[in-house]
Amino acid sequence: MSHLVALVLCVAGFGGLALATDRQQHAVFGRALPEGVTYGLRIAGAAALLLALGSLVVRQGWGLGLVMFSGHTSLASGLVHATLIGYSRLHSSTR
Amino acid sequence: MSSLTDRAWRVGPLVSRIVAALAGGYALAALASVAVLVLPISKPQAVITGMLASFPIYAGAVIWVFSVRSATRAWLGLAVVATPLLVAAWSVWRA
Amino acid sequence: MSRRTPDEEPRLTGRGIRQSMSDLHSWAGLLCGWILYAMFLTGTVSYFKDELSQWMRPELPYQAQVPDQAAVAQRVADELGTLVPGSPQWSLRLPDARNNSVYAFWRSPARSADGRGFGEGQFDPATGRKVASRDTLGGDFFFRFHFQFHYMSALWGRWIAGVAAMFMLVAIVSGVITHKKIFTDFFTFRWGKGQRSWLDAHNAFSVFGLPFHLMITYTGLVTLMAMYVPWGERAAIKTPAERQQLSAELSVFIQPGRPSGQPAPLASVEDMVRQAQARWGRDNVGRVTAVHPGDAAARVAVSRGEAGRLSMSPQIMEFEGTTGRLLAVRESVGPAAEVRGVLYGLHLGRFSDAVTRWLYFLVSFGGTAMVGTGLVMWTVKRRQKLPDPSRPYLGFRLVERLNIAAIAGLSIAMAAFLWANRLLPLELPRRADWEIHVFFIVWASALAHAILRPAKGAWVEQLWTAAALLALVPLLNAVTTQRPLWRSLAQGDWIFAGTDLLCLALAALHAVLALRTARYRPSPRAAGRARGGPVAGGKLIEEGA
Repeated sequence: MSHLVALVLCVAGFGGLALATDRQQHAVFGRALPEGVTYGLRIAGAAALLLALGSLVVRQGWGLGLVMFSGHTSLASGLVHATLIGYSRLHSSTR
Repeated sequence: MSSLTDRAWRVGPLVSRIVAALAGGYALAALASVAVLVLPISKPQAVITGMLASFPIYAGAVIWVFSVRSATRAWLGLAVVATPLLVAAWSVWRA
Repeated sequence: MSRRTPDEEPRLTGRGIRQSMSDLHSWAGLLCGWILYAMFLTGTVSYFKDELSQWMRPELPYQAQVPDQAAVAQRVADELGTLVPGSPQWSLRLPDARNNSVYAFWRSPARSADGRGFGEGQFDPATGRKVASRDTLGGDFFFRFHFQFHYMSALWGRWIAGVAAMFMLVAIVSGVITHKKIFTDFFTFRWGKGQRSWLDAHNAFSVFGLPFHLMITYTGLVTLMAMYVPWGERAAIKTPAERQQLSAELSVFIQPGRPSGQPAPLASVEDMVRQAQARWGRDNVGRVTAVHPGDAAARVAVSRGEAGRLSMSPQIMEFEGTTGRLLAVRESVGPAAEVRGVLYGLHLGRFSDAVTRWLYFLVSFGGTAMVGTGLVMWTVKRRQKLPDPSRPYLGFRLVERLNIAAIAGLSIAMAAFLWANRLLPLELPRRADWEIHVFFIVWASALAHAILRPAKGAWVEQLWTAAALLALVPLLNAVTTQRPLWRSLAQGDWIFAGTDLLCLALAALHAVLALRTARYRPSPRAAGRARGGPVAGGKLIEEGA
C-alpha cells in the first residue's frame, strides 16, 4: 500500500514538474501558461515528491525508504515521459 | 614522410592521455588505497576505506586527464596529487 | 552541428571540456558497450534468479510456505555427513520465501581424488536428499555470467567485468558532464527525428535511472574490490590474525582452528538454528556453516537472512560443534566495513520485498536500454556522414553487426537457454553444461547471421526470432511440465505464472521493436540538414555528432 501511495505521489510530482516546463506547456496546451500557474505547478510537483519520500521514510526507515524512493522516482518519471509522448503523438495525428 | 610525422604529432598526445588515464589513473587509485593506512583508524577499516575510495579516485583521474588542455598538464596534475600520496604510502611500506 | 573539427586541428586541444567529455563518453561507452550490455541484461534478469531457478527445476513442487528452517538444516546436515564424511567445511543456504531448495557447498576431504577441492549441490528441504530434478544451473547461470562470463577462468572473467565496469563509471560521469541541459531537457522527446530521437531516448533511459546506474556500477566494483585493488591489504595485512580480523569484517567467517583428530559427532544443528530463529525471526536464517564437522574441534556458524536489512555485513551466531553451546554473537562490524556491507547489499538487492524487486528489475532494464540505445546511436550518428551509405567502411560494419548480435542475438540466446532447459533429455550426461553450450551456440549463430545478412534484415529477423521464442515459452512449459500457466495462475503459484507472463511481455516488446525496425527508413542525408524546428533551434545537445 505504501508503495502505491508513493508511486502515485511521484507520478503527480513529475507530472507537475513536467507541465511547469516551457516545452511541455507548448506541447500540451499549445501556449505558455501564466507565470503564476507555472510557479504553482513547480511547487506542487516538488511538494508531491517530498511527500512521497516522507511517506516511505516514515514507514521503512531511511535506508530502505531512500532505495524505494529512488526506484519510484525512476519509474514515475518514465511513466510521465511515456504519457507525454503518447499524448503529443495522439494530438498531432488527430489534428 | 611529413604526413607520418604529422600523424605522430596528432596521435602522440592522445596516446599519452590514454596511457595517463588507464595506467596513471590506476596507479593513483592504488597509491591512495595504500596511503589511507596512515590514518589513525584500525587496519581492517583503513584497508576497506582505501578500496572503497579507489574507484571514485580512478574515475576522477580519468575525467581529469581528458578535461585539461594538454597531455602534459594531465600528467602534471596526476603527479601533483601522487606526490603526497606516495610519501604517505612509502611510510606504510617501510613500516 | 556546431562541431566539424577540421581534420588538421590536433585532437583534444583548444576545444571545450564538454567536447572532450563527449568524445570520452562515446569511446568509453563503445569499447566496452557490448560487454556492458550483456552484463546489464543478464544482471537485470538475476534480480529474479531464485525465481528463475525454481522455474528451471519444475520437478520441485511449488513452496506455498517456507518450511521450518531448523528441521531442514538438520536433514541436510545429516545427509552431508554421509555424502562427504571428513569434509573440512560445508555451508548451507536454507530455503526461504524465494528458494524452495537448499544450496550446499563443501570442501572435499583432503584425500579426495577429484582434484577440484570442492563440491556443490541442491538439496530437497523435505527429504534432505539431493534434489530429484533435472540437472541445471538455473538462474545462477545468468548471475555468474554477469560478472565472470564463461569458458574462461573466473579470475579472467572478473577482471574483464571490472574493466568494463570502470569504463561504465567513466562513461556515466562524462555523460553527465556532457549533457549540460540535464534538467531543462528532462522530459524532451522528439519523435521521428532520426538521430535526435535516439539521443532523446538514450538521455531518458540514462537520466531517469541515473541514481541507480551510478549506484549499480560503483557497487558492482565494490563487490570484487579486494581483487581489483589488493594493495592496501598487501601492505597492511601481514599476520594470519590480521587476515582473520579482516575476513570477519567482510564475510561469515569462523576461526578455522586445527582439527583435533578425535572424531566426535556434531550436536543438534536444529537446536542451533532454533536459537537463531528466536533471535532473527522464523524464516530469516540465512546460512549454516560448519568447520571440521565430525571432529571434536568443530564450530558452527548460523548467519542471519538478508530480508529487510540493507547491509550484507555478516551477522552470525557461533556455536561449539560438539556441544551446541553458544560461543559468540556478532551483529556489527566496523564503520568502513558497514559502508561496504550496505553498498554490497544495494547491488544485490536481496533485502527487497516483491515491489522493490520489480522496481530494481525495471530500472535495471532501463539501464540495459541505456547501453543499447547508446550502442545503436553510434551507428545512427555516423551513417549520415558515410560517403556512400550502401558501402560503409569496415569499422562501421563491425560495430553495426556486433550491435545486432549483442542486442537482438542475446535475447535469442537467453530464450534458447530456457528452451534447452525444457527440451534437453533429462538423462543427458553433463546436462547443465549443455544448457549453457546451447546458449552460446545460439548466440554464435546469431553473430554469424548478423554478419551474413544485410543489417536491417538481420535486425528484423533476429527480433522476430526472439519474440517468437519468448512467446512460445509458456506453451513449451505447458507441454513439457505438469505446471501450465492456467494451473499456476489458479494455484497462485506466482513463480511459474510470473515467469511465463514475463516471457510473454518480453515477446511483445521484441515484436514492437521488430515492427518499428522494419518500418524504419534511415533519413536521407538532406534531412540531417533541414531539421531544427523552432523548439530545437538546430542545436544538438552537445552529443559530439
